[in-house]
Amino acid sequence: MSELAMTELPILVVGGGPAGVAAAVTLAEAGLRVLLIEQRDRLGGAIHRQPAPGAPQVWRGPARHRRNWTELTSRLERAAARIELRTSSVFLGIDGAGRFLFEDRRAGRVFARRVRAAIVAVGAVERIRPFEGWELPGVTSAGGAQVLLKETGRPPEGPIVVAGTGPLLLAVAAQLARAGNPPLAVLERGNPWRRPKTLAGLATAGPQLTEAAAYATTLAWKRVPYRTASEVLGVSEVGQGLAIRVRLGKIERLLQARHLLVHDGLEPNRAGIPLPAPGAEIPVLLAGDGREILGADAAILDGRRAAAAVLASLGQAAPVAPLEAALGKARAFQRDLAEALRSPSTLPTPETMICRCEGRRYADFTALPADASAREIRLMGRFGLGACQGRFCGPMLAELRGEALPSASPPRWPLRPVSLAALANFSMDQTET
Amino acid sequence: MARSLSLHVAVVGAGIVGAAAAHFLAAAGARVTLLDASGPAAGATGASDGAVSVASKKPGPMMDLARHARAFYGSCEADGLLRGLFHRRSTFLVARTPLEAELVAEHGADLAAAGERVLDVDRPTLLNRIPGLGDGVCFALEIPDDGHALGYEITQRLLQRSSVTVRRNAPVSEIVMRAGRAVGVAVRGEMLAADAVLVAAGIGSVGLLGLGDILIPRKGQMVVTDRAAAGRPAIDGHLMAASYLAAKRGIVRDNAHIGLVIDPLVTGQFLIGGSREDHRSDQTTDAVTISAILRDALDLYPPLRERRVLRTFAGVRTASRDGLPIIGPHPHLGGVTVATGFEGDGICLGPFMGACAARMILGEAPGVDLSLLAPQRFAAVEALA
Repeated sequence: MSELAMTELPILVVGGGPAGVAAAVTLAEAGLRVLLIEQRDRLGGAIHRQPAPGAPQVWRGPARHRRNWTELTSRLERAAARIELRTSSVFLGIDGAGRFLFEDRRAGRVFARRVRAAIVAVGAVERIRPFEGWELPGVTSAGGAQVLLKETGRPPEGPIVVAGTGPLLLAVAAQLARAGNPPLAVLERGNPWRRPKTLAGLATAGPQLTEAAAYATTLAWKRVPYRTASEVLGVSEVGQGLAIRVRLGKIERLLQARHLLVHDGLEPNRAGIPLPAPGAEIPVLLAGDGREILGADAAILDGRRAAAAVLASLGQAAPVAPLEAALGKARAFQRDLAEALRSPSTLPTPETMICRCEGRRYADFTALPADASAREIRLMGRFGLGACQGRFCGPMLAELRGEALPSASPPRWPLRPVSLAALANFSMDQTET
Repeated sequence: MARSLSLHVAVVGAGIVGAAAAHFLAAAGARVTLLDASGPAAGATGASDGAVSVASKKPGPMMDLARHARAFYGSCEADGLLRGLFHRRSTFLVARTPLEAELVAEHGADLAAAGERVLDVDRPTLLNRIPGLGDGVCFALEIPDDGHALGYEITQRLLQRSSVTVRRNAPVSEIVMRAGRAVGVAVRGEMLAADAVLVAAGIGSVGLLGLGDILIPRKGQMVVTDRAAAGRPAIDGHLMAASYLAAKRGIVRDNAHIGLVIDPLVTGQFLIGGSREDHRSDQTTDAVTISAILRDALDLYPPLRERRVLRTFAGVRTASRDGLPIIGPHPHLGGVTVATGFEGDGICLGPFMGACAARMILGEAPGVDLSLLAPQRFAAVEALA
């Protein structure tokens, strides 16, 4: 690396999943310095989550994902001289003085860095359509359970029901079955068989279809029923387990299980994320599922696209047209998938919990004035004020309102809870270049 | 009452003062439209600690007014209007140096002279009340009759229990005058006719009344932590450092000065503040100021090291040039009443001052002598004529 490159400010990349790593290697290969921040102790994101040390690897994921990741990590190694990787570190946001702030959780230290541009690739959050009892212990998000399975190699013990909508239900159920605990049932709210045309369109998507077929085969082999037009109506606790009231087509039933895994799709993780502002002194770009939910394959392309945009802003030519075309295909696939699984929206009952952190129910939300400001929703509704900082209730309310909650202005930091002691020790000397 | 029945009042600003004035006007039979550029509690009211504190007031008229205002909270709590929203709690004035101890003792004497109960607390008693308090605390006084209320909850309750029409996203651009008297307000190019106008718009009052020389924005940065206790205050009282008193008594005027308070919220969280940055009206927070607040807070109350910071935020207090609120009829604009400049005391004074403003608009005596707070004390207002 030249001396000039050493003294140049780095490009910040937040998030070490496929989009972030693709962006980082693209920038580094073009000769730029990169600061790559990852909150976990290892790269990979949710899709390439590796087993914890000593845990068995029960499931290795589709071969094409493994190939993609192997290729990215070997490029990362070759470009390592230009990439400063900080794991166990969290991006806290940008303060009022324009500082990019981070918490190094291993060192218990908050620090600031000067950067030339930032690419934020912090992935997706799961959407959960609220029903009575979703906040009970034993009910978890299916995506969260999937990540835990990848890390520990062990499925949850006792009978499991998987419910909600989307292809992730199929994947999680098949992985649980492979790991030795096939779910009692998978309940998909959508009814794709009623939309044969859209379904036929989806059938032209190669790799995704192969993946889905493999999951379906596993479920058939383990005799796991996959019911469409079916959903959870409510859950209550009985003894050590859950009584799950479900609708199977037109019939209501009561299922007994120890765990209920729910998932109603993904959306970009935007909780407090600084959004790109035209003309900003330090440009901020989004990439991957954190920009638009297009899946793991497209996330790699989108990371490259964001890197190309940064390069272009610095006067380095970087063709993006082929990337845009490929992203367009992924977008069409996601649209068809959403259309195939589309289901009528239903409103939760007034008693349904919306914000688990503050114990706020749907009735508390409907009691707010229709034109309530962001501050009223937060302060008087007490929505989005809890420790999760609106990660769950934000998307729920956005769906119920039909529009996103107005975000706090100016953007707030910290984006994640930060150790008070570490923040107290921050001093201006800790602005690193 | 016949007169107030036919009266239409436009109240500009839906903070705690405007909401209280609107509530009591409507209760007296007036028709009230409450307008806000954003919505209820959008300004300083929604970005403040909830100290209903006499202990923090500057000796003189502010200390006396605060005693009336705190008693008003008590009566509103008792008669049901603010039931469940006002809680008695102690304020502890704490010193960490001999010089600070002198200041706290002097302030305690001023409070006692104003009729306030002031209790000496020795260190063992103090540690019993607030386990973990920093080693540096060398002197403390307890002010047992203070209280706590959240500005946005009070605002919401005052509006819920009234027939006031609330207009959100309704920025008032002008007070429409005819023959020296207010006849309404202009909102987004439309005129809302009114018989009287109350301006309680905090720093927004500057543009509306040309008070740029008189009102100063003073930004305060604050921190909210996670819960140290479930559903109850984590410590038995509000900790107010001598540095806060020094700022309130006008001993220090420095934009980097931290007036430290540690406010245990009923949720079990802590609210920690804050900076006092004159001529700053933005609502951003910065790591240098926030970390300085936290270092000072850790020194005073070390158990905070176990907490995590959930949020930082800033509010903009509206201070007047002479440090006193401005409340009363505008000297030259007939039919216009002003109620602003409450600086960091709006939550404590708000409901009472709103009730006083309502009485003034209805042509009644406010019940306490507010002549020191009248707008005509500023020559600049005279010059506006």
